[in-house]
Amino acid sequence: MSESRGNKPQVFDDPAIDALVKMLLELASETWVTRARLAALEAKVGSVEDLVLPPETEARLSADRDAFVKRLFGVLER
Amino acid sequence: MTRLVTHDLAVRPTRDELAAQDFTSSLRGHVLNHMAATMKTRYETSIAPKLAEAPADGRAVHAAIRPDTYFRFYSALRTGAQEMVWSSVGAAVERDAGKLADTARALAADSARAQGTLRLDPALPVPRSVSAIDVHHMPGSYSAESGDGDLTAGAIYENGLSVFSFGLMGKNLDDIGESSAFWLRHTHPEFAPKAILDLGCSVGHQTLPWKRAYPDAEVTGIDVAAPCLRYAHGRAQSQGVTAHFVQADATALPWPDASFDLVYSSMFLHELPLKDIKQVFAEARRVLKPGGLMLHYELPPNNALSAYDGFYLDWDCWYNNEPFYKTYRDQDPATLCAEAGFASDGFFQTVVPSLAWYGADAVAAALAGSAQVGGNTGRLADGVQWFVYGNWA
Repeated sequence: MSESRGNKPQVFDDPAIDALVKMLLELASETWVTRARLAALEAKVGSVEDLVLPPETEARLSADRDAFVKRLFGVLER
Repeated sequence: MTRLVTHDLAVRPTRDELAAQDFTSSLRGHVLNHMAATMKTRYETSIAPKLAEAPADGRAVHAAIRPDTYFRFYSALRTGAQEMVWSSVGAAVERDAGKLADTARALAADSARAQGTLRLDPALPVPRSVSAIDVHHMPGSYSAESGDGDLTAGAIYENGLSVFSFGLMGKNLDDIGESSAFWLRHTHPEFAPKAILDLGCSVGHQTLPWKRAYPDAEVTGIDVAAPCLRYAHGRAQSQGVTAHFVQADATALPWPDASFDLVYSSMFLHELPLKDIKQVFAEARRVLKPGGLMLHYELPPNNALSAYDGFYLDWDCWYNNEPFYKTYRDQDPATLCAEAGFASDGFFQTVVPSLAWYGADAVAAALAGSAQVGGNTGRLADGVQWFVYGNWA
């Protein structure tokens, strides 16, 4: 989804703080999304403590993680 | 679905997207309830007492509170949450765009559900107040479209509204319209409008309640944004409500004089430049029949609020890409009506209790009795109330 047009309000004197708040929100949202998914999974399969993931799952997780990091710090490029 | 969008135009977010939407709603709830209350207390106890003189208006309160760290975090979190409202629904809408357009076309042809119509005018100039500004920070604005049949702007708006309102606008996002229509029916039972016009209707969510309240009336919603109107038409058909949607500009209504009994708007005027608002009122006056009613749901004007409450509402003007919001709220509704040629003895302003908040029985009882629902002494003193004003023609 594209960015909305127009000036983004800057509320702190240092724009770095505005950026940090957005990073924090993205991180907090991702944390919640993960917790919600974990709850769904564990309701279905029980404990996953000793589970070994298949290689393709590990590869997908790796790509997802890269995308997550890019999005988390994407605010710096806005 | 996005929790509150459950009709045939519902999109299909992933589990993760739905969880992100829930998070955004929770964040907004925290900011608008807990943080807003804390900020007000902080202002009253720590900031206001140190000022040389009491702030005369909301702008002065803003200047006084602006350096405060808590206010800055409130604003930063609220702005961040606003962006997340749209980002949490955008991907699902984009994925489902083709299916949505197909579904809307099928619904339009399904006269067994409802007999509503859609009339678009591709030649209509879209005002720059709509096309040039991403109001509410909604990416792409309300009017941008990519190809024939595109209704994604409408879908993003309604799904975003579901996340944004976290239930406060009713389970069908139509509580303002439902409450306004219920209030009018109960306070003016003799009024039986045959033709109703909803100005700046966007996705028609506040338009349909008027057809439900007055089944014999012909109900029409207008907007300048074609993608919203396509969505509105499909949404109405899906909900089995016959309503007509026309692409038109409220400053130049394509109807002859004395065409409507009721001209309504909700959350519309504050997005317009003042010269357009005045023209909208003049047009409403023109198309109303004698004995008809112009009725607006809006944010209360600054002259009815304390300096702090004025500042609190005007936050959206300064931080939410709504550049005309404060200028509108600085106007006096009665004066706007009088300037458009309405008789001053037909003017009223009041608060309408929320049906979703109180339930129909409690609201009906309050409206039937002498209870003041707007003040501190009324039975419905605490809770959601909508500010409306109007003028009989």
